[in-house]
Amino acid sequence: MIRLALEMLIGDRVKALGLMLGVAFTAFLVTFAAGYFAGFMTNGFALITENSAADVWVMDPAVMSVEATINVTDAALNRVRAVPGVARAWPMLLADVEARFPNGRFQTFQLVGLDDVTLAGLPDSASPDVAARLRTPDAVVVASGGTSGKLGTPAQLRDQWPYDGAHLNVPLRPLAAGDQVLVNGLRVRVAAQARVLERFPPRPLMYTGIANARRLLPPERQRPTFVLVRARDGVSSRQLAQRIERQTGLRARPRDAFKADTVRWYLVNSEDVGDMTAMLMLAMVVGFGVAGIMLYMFSYENLRQYAVFKAMGASGRQLVGMVLAQAGGVAVLATGIGLGLCSLAGSAVAASGHPFRMLWFAPVLGAGGVLLISLTAALISVRPLLKLSPGEVFAGR
Amino acid sequence: MAVVCQGLTKQYGHGSNTFQALRGLDLTVATGELVMLVGPSGCGKTTLVSILSAVIEPDAGECRVLGQDLIAMTPDEKTRFRRTHVGFVFQTFNLLPALSLAENVAVPLFIAGRHRRTALAAAEQLLDRVGLAGRADAKPGELSGGQQQRVAIARALVHGPSLVVCDEPTSNLDHRNGQEMMKLLRDTALAANRTVIVVTHDPRILGYADRVVHMDDGRIVTAPAPSSSERVGG
Repeated sequence: MIRLALEMLIGDRVKALGLMLGVAFTAFLVTFAAGYFAGFMTNGFALITENSAADVWVMDPAVMSVEATINVTDAALNRVRAVPGVARAWPMLLADVEARFPNGRFQTFQLVGLDDVTLAGLPDSASPDVAARLRTPDAVVVASGGTSGKLGTPAQLRDQWPYDGAHLNVPLRPLAAGDQVLVNGLRVRVAAQARVLERFPPRPLMYTGIANARRLLPPERQRPTFVLVRARDGVSSRQLAQRIERQTGLRARPRDAFKADTVRWYLVNSEDVGDMTAMLMLAMVVGFGVAGIMLYMFSYENLRQYAVFKAMGASGRQLVGMVLAQAGGVAVLATGIGLGLCSLAGSAVAASGHPFRMLWFAPVLGAGGVLLISLTAALISVRPLLKLSPGEVFAGR
Repeated sequence: MAVVCQGLTKQYGHGSNTFQALRGLDLTVATGELVMLVGPSGCGKTTLVSILSAVIEPDAGECRVLGQDLIAMTPDEKTRFRRTHVGFVFQTFNLLPALSLAENVAVPLFIAGRHRRTALAAAEQLLDRVGLAGRADAKPGELSGGQQQRVAIARALVHGPSLVVCDEPTSNLDHRNGQEMMKLLRDTALAANRTVIVVTHDPRILGYADRVVHMDDGRIVTAPAPSSSERVGG
């Protein structure tokens, strides 16, 4: 009977194709949306990803993510270094700064103050030459951080540092090595423009040594935001984090746990994520609704055929099995098509710089959602089926 | 006797919208007999065969079919009764367009849980008997109306039922196909001493009946005794 059900399903090719594409579209939509969401969240903890040398992140006890931070005391670095199991610890300073371009335009940057000794956390694409230049006084490395068109400096010399006021609407070119901008009224030199992981929310970034960062920031902002820790060989990050918390009173999180914290923080606190989630939920509901209605309609249109089966002695269990087989068949095939399309589309959009990540939960969500809605639609379809009188097939009825 | 019913009544609807389909109907059909039920629309023919094939229950009366008391049966028992003992031929054939002819014929065997290979083999044998040898893999849409009704007859017989119920089997067929279909039904169904009950409006096929039962307003108007015959031809 299961085979009959599947043959009935594919027998009407046009209807079956429409149904399949409808459900496949839902699988695609849900998976793509989840992939995009994963991409945004991945961008949200890009700073943690960039600092792969750090096993444990230490911060103020109130800090729950890399997005909303407050600084720790200068003493925190040495206190962390004193914890057994710490191989290496270095500071990182985060701050938002206003940078003024030579034509008078200004732009908010996230300033990332790196350990002066190691420059750990400097984007991988920055060459050793750039690292050397970053050690010179006043040097910074800038990056778009997922933005576009925000790192433009006047193309013409006459528009740079003019004496006759701002030259705002002038031709621009990307910032390059040797260009200068003002940060908090102090001149800095661009050592390079680096390519870094995109951020969520997107924002221009400015990397520099922590000493230079302190020079650029007002006194109350000059303390480190994080202490990054490398664990000794054989010491687990989790155990070390617990030890640091016990010994310093600071919050210490292993790298992956801090990523999860950050995602959770975005889910709870970010209005952007809330809006995005609402849109995604709407898309999912529409997709699920379409898929569910199409599946229901398919079963409903086949009611007469089921009545024939029923008249011939098919049991309710057999009929339910047939409907579930059809729904399951559609769900499995359509999910495969949807996920395949999503992989292709996701690769394309990711290659073009969009924040798409096919993390494990995206296809699981897509497949699970489609299976759920297929099952629900099938169960709803079963009701009229079970109430159906086999007498419906007689001419006089 | 294949069918012994007494005092069957059946009413549809409630309150002022009630319709009395059967009004104390008595009917007896002998084993191996081909009985045709005729009468105007709404006279209760379809309700009667629905009761006889254990599809619906009467409101009152007694009904024994093939020696079994239909009134006392549970719904599951009725389902098993239909599955095992009843074959159906419908006015609109009700073949499944997605399935091959052999699969259509084998549906009652699939429902009964028979293995696919043996079911299809049995179906092909029946198709041979109804003159559709070599068409087992064709789809119903490739056949004429007459051929489709042959497939429906094969389907009604494939599981060896003792009772075959036909609901207006010739009303969608032209005269020649109608005659051929009835001849085939007589030859194949009655050959195994099955009982056949045909609901029809088609006077041209009455000659194939062993007995014609006239109904009107939920009652039997004229019904020769099972031993006699009103058969006029065939």
